[in-house]
Amino acid sequence: MDIMLFGPELFYLGMALVFFCLTLRRQVQVRLDYQIALALSAVGVLVTGLCLFQQGDLFFKAYRVDLFSQIFKFALALGLFLVLTISHNLAAIEERYQAEFYFFLTTTTIGMMMLVSSVELLTIYVALELSSYSLYILVPLRRGDGIDVEAGIKYLFIGAVSSGFMLFGLSYIFGATGSTYLVDILPKMNQLVNSPIGIIGLLLALAGFFFKLSVFPFHFWAPDVYQGGANQVVTFIATASKAAAVALLLRLAVLGHASGYNFTIALVILSVVSMTLGNLVAIVQKDFKRMLAYSSIAHAGVFLMGVLTITEAGYIGVIYYALAYLVMNFTVFMVLSEVAADGRDLQISELAGLYRRSPLLSMSLILGIFALAGVPPSIGFTGKLLIFTSAMNAGYFWLVVIGAVNGTICLYYYLKVLYAAYFIDDPGLPVITLSLPMRLLNYALAAIIIGFGFCPDRIVELAKAAAKAVL
Amino acid sequence: MLLSPFVGLLVLLCLKNEQKFLIRAVSVVASGISLALSIFTFVAYDKGLGGLQFVEKYEWVQTFGITYFVGVEGLNAPMLLLTGIVIFTGCLTMWELEDRTKEYFIWMMALVTGVFGVFMSYDMFFFFLFYEIAVVPMYILILVWGSTRKEYAAMKLTLYLMAGSGLIIPGILLLYASSGLNTFNMLLLHGANFSPWVQKVAFILLFFGFGVLAAVWPLHTWSPVGHVAAPTAVSMLHAGVLMKLGSFAILRVGMYLLPEGFQYWANLMMILATAGIVYGVFVGLAQTDLKYVIGYSSVSHMGIVCLGLATGTIDGLNGAVFQMFAHGIMTALFFSSVGYIYDRTHTRDIHELGGFSKIMPVASAFFITAALCGAGVPGMASFWAELLVFVAAVQVFPVAGLLAIAALVLGALFALRVVQSTFFNEPNPKFVHFEDVSPFLGIPRMILIGTLLFFGFFPQIMVSMIKSSVVPFLQGM
Repeated sequence: MDIMLFGPELFYLGMALVFFCLTLRRQVQVRLDYQIALALSAVGVLVTGLCLFQQGDLFFKAYRVDLFSQIFKFALALGLFLVLTISHNLAAIEERYQAEFYFFLTTTTIGMMMLVSSVELLTIYVALELSSYSLYILVPLRRGDGIDVEAGIKYLFIGAVSSGFMLFGLSYIFGATGSTYLVDILPKMNQLVNSPIGIIGLLLALAGFFFKLSVFPFHFWAPDVYQGGANQVVTFIATASKAAAVALLLRLAVLGHASGYNFTIALVILSVVSMTLGNLVAIVQKDFKRMLAYSSIAHAGVFLMGVLTITEAGYIGVIYYALAYLVMNFTVFMVLSEVAADGRDLQISELAGLYRRSPLLSMSLILGIFALAGVPPSIGFTGKLLIFTSAMNAGYFWLVVIGAVNGTICLYYYLKVLYAAYFIDDPGLPVITLSLPMRLLNYALAAIIIGFGFCPDRIVELAKAAAKAVL
Repeated sequence: MLLSPFVGLLVLLCLKNEQKFLIRAVSVVASGISLALSIFTFVAYDKGLGGLQFVEKYEWVQTFGITYFVGVEGLNAPMLLLTGIVIFTGCLTMWELEDRTKEYFIWMMALVTGVFGVFMSYDMFFFFLFYEIAVVPMYILILVWGSTRKEYAAMKLTLYLMAGSGLIIPGILLLYASSGLNTFNMLLLHGANFSPWVQKVAFILLFFGFGVLAAVWPLHTWSPVGHVAAPTAVSMLHAGVLMKLGSFAILRVGMYLLPEGFQYWANLMMILATAGIVYGVFVGLAQTDLKYVIGYSSVSHMGIVCLGLATGTIDGLNGAVFQMFAHGIMTALFFSSVGYIYDRTHTRDIHELGGFSKIMPVASAFFITAALCGAGVPGMASFWAELLVFVAAVQVFPVAGLLAIAALVLGALFALRVVQSTFFNEPNPKFVHFEDVSPFLGIPRMILIGTLLFFGFFPQIMVSMIKSSVVPFLQGM
């Protein structure tokens, strides 16, 4: 029975071992590696799917398996699988490093899976570092002219600093409560949270996840890493890693439940600044990935808006939106990496003529972009609306107004992308042909974006059950 | 009714780009079905019984109290009829389109699905969802198939409307949150007692949010630019139907749910509406581009709708809804005839077209009919609508009412001058060789004229329909 509880992690551990062995070979067999990776990750999705309704505790109750953690594990497995589907052409990574690419992607997935299940401070920290270190290596893996190294170092430094903050905060919490178990900390936080040590400890402890989610003021890495990393790596950072960060924010924010004003006002400020800053700076970007980086900063603000309500409705909204964000952001990145097949950075203007080059990709782009912008009927719209609703219910009228205004601002730069893809024609570029699996993937993503946007009930019910497990 | 454009959309998705005839045929059939259904609901609606009929209701997301709830009553039945007529004629009008035909009709169908949805929804979530679905395709429709400064117009229009949505979302959510009922169902929310503060704040948010789409002065600036840039059928739909979404939403969400808020802001509505009427008339008649003339006349006509709403009396609301209907048909006719002329001559300049009636008598006749209707000539539907509004307005706001009437009378005078200089001067020799409207392409325009005349001679059909809902509506306030 315990095996099933730890099933997904064990599976991915096995997968990591396979790729560790593959990295030791002398001859490189790119195709074979890719096929193994894709097949294993597809099985991984199945395994996590099967373990969706497992429940229990492991490792002296430091590790909890509940619907909440399993949903996010499923999302992570799905994210890994999706990223691998667009890795059939890893032009940006040298061939002899490609097995390492798969290896580190798998280990970072394991780290994140452990992260979403951890309910003990030290476990959380170790799992976080496991997932981060793999990413620190993946970012500079790109074959390039040094921009990748710059990105990698920036990522490492800011990551290390935020880890430092986080450890500092965790030590405050531990010092004040005498326990590292969230279950024990929670009742004691009620008195603590309005004292400086409680608030500072909690906010600093959240810093590690603010970094992952690229919340202001830990957002500086995002544009450079997005631009400097290989497209596939960035896709993983922008989708799966965000979901994991959101999950932990949800778990830890519960500690601030009783705080009332002080704790939430800090989050409100971070949310507003992230949204506004991200959206305003995104307007002037020319590089597609940089623009998406700033849009991710803006989205981090939206996530925070739901988190800071610390109500069931807010958590439902955030869980829903985290899943939605994974799908819609992936859709956009998929288009990006298909268009930039040689692994280069794509300028927005280079999307010109996409309408003619590949109608299917441009349809996916339109759906993904509209979903990110929160235009109905898409999962992005429904998710945003659920979060706004919960924030309004919790009495944050002005926060919702600012969020809605930001919704208008962001539309401008998203529409510029569509404009480039649909209305500027560049006759010199060849037609993009997609393989059959890629075409199916496009249709599937489109169906998910529209279908679950229009009929969100099932997901909402699932998210509701998951939210109950955390609150 | 909601389903038929949607099914049409799905069928279109499956068709190939080369099968142009099939694409057109499918869209015309789909819109024809929705027209037939909207006529059916209009006729089959039991006025004696009143209230909501043809209700469909499903639980959608229980946790957040979202229900799929559509129905028909006296207020929206005319709007549905209007949409049915305009989309059907719009599809016929665009029969000649050659460029990216499939996508064009797909977006049209998406837009129409949204429009029908807004008019029928009684759940705020779906109301807003459909509202956005109706608004967003405009960007693409204008950008790909538009003319004159289309990039600027499309971006301006979209940002304006989205800014409006940015006001609507907090407004709707404020209602949802402060009612404490955990429901988006409007009929249930109607029973909630909102505090005066909520009433005032939410109403003004919703009024300005929806007011952008209704082209309430001074938020109208996107509208003439957008109409000019849009392709013919989109102008028809947009001026004819979409702008009505805005005023309809003010009525349905704003006034219905927030009567006190409405009372508080009624004077502001009246002032803005009157300003819009006067401004639209004068600016419109200084234009030389025919589409700009129509665009600004729309602003002034929408001002009349708004003025009718602001009165808050039975006659006023009757007139406002009637005016929405009449103006929708009339503008569709306007744009449809101008579109025809523009497709042939590639100009809309009044001076260049001079004496056009000698070249294309039928096309000109269509335009002139619309102009007469706009001027409120008796025998046309808009005559009754404007009469009702002005009667109510003079009683409630004497000064504004008289001002508006004066502006309209002057406007009628100028309108006749526009008609005269466009159609009855010496013909421009450049255009002599053009042929007139063929009988087939004349059909959609004839339908529109027929509707205008029919309700001009039998206004009672429409008025009694609207009244069956307006009376309980006002009692509920």
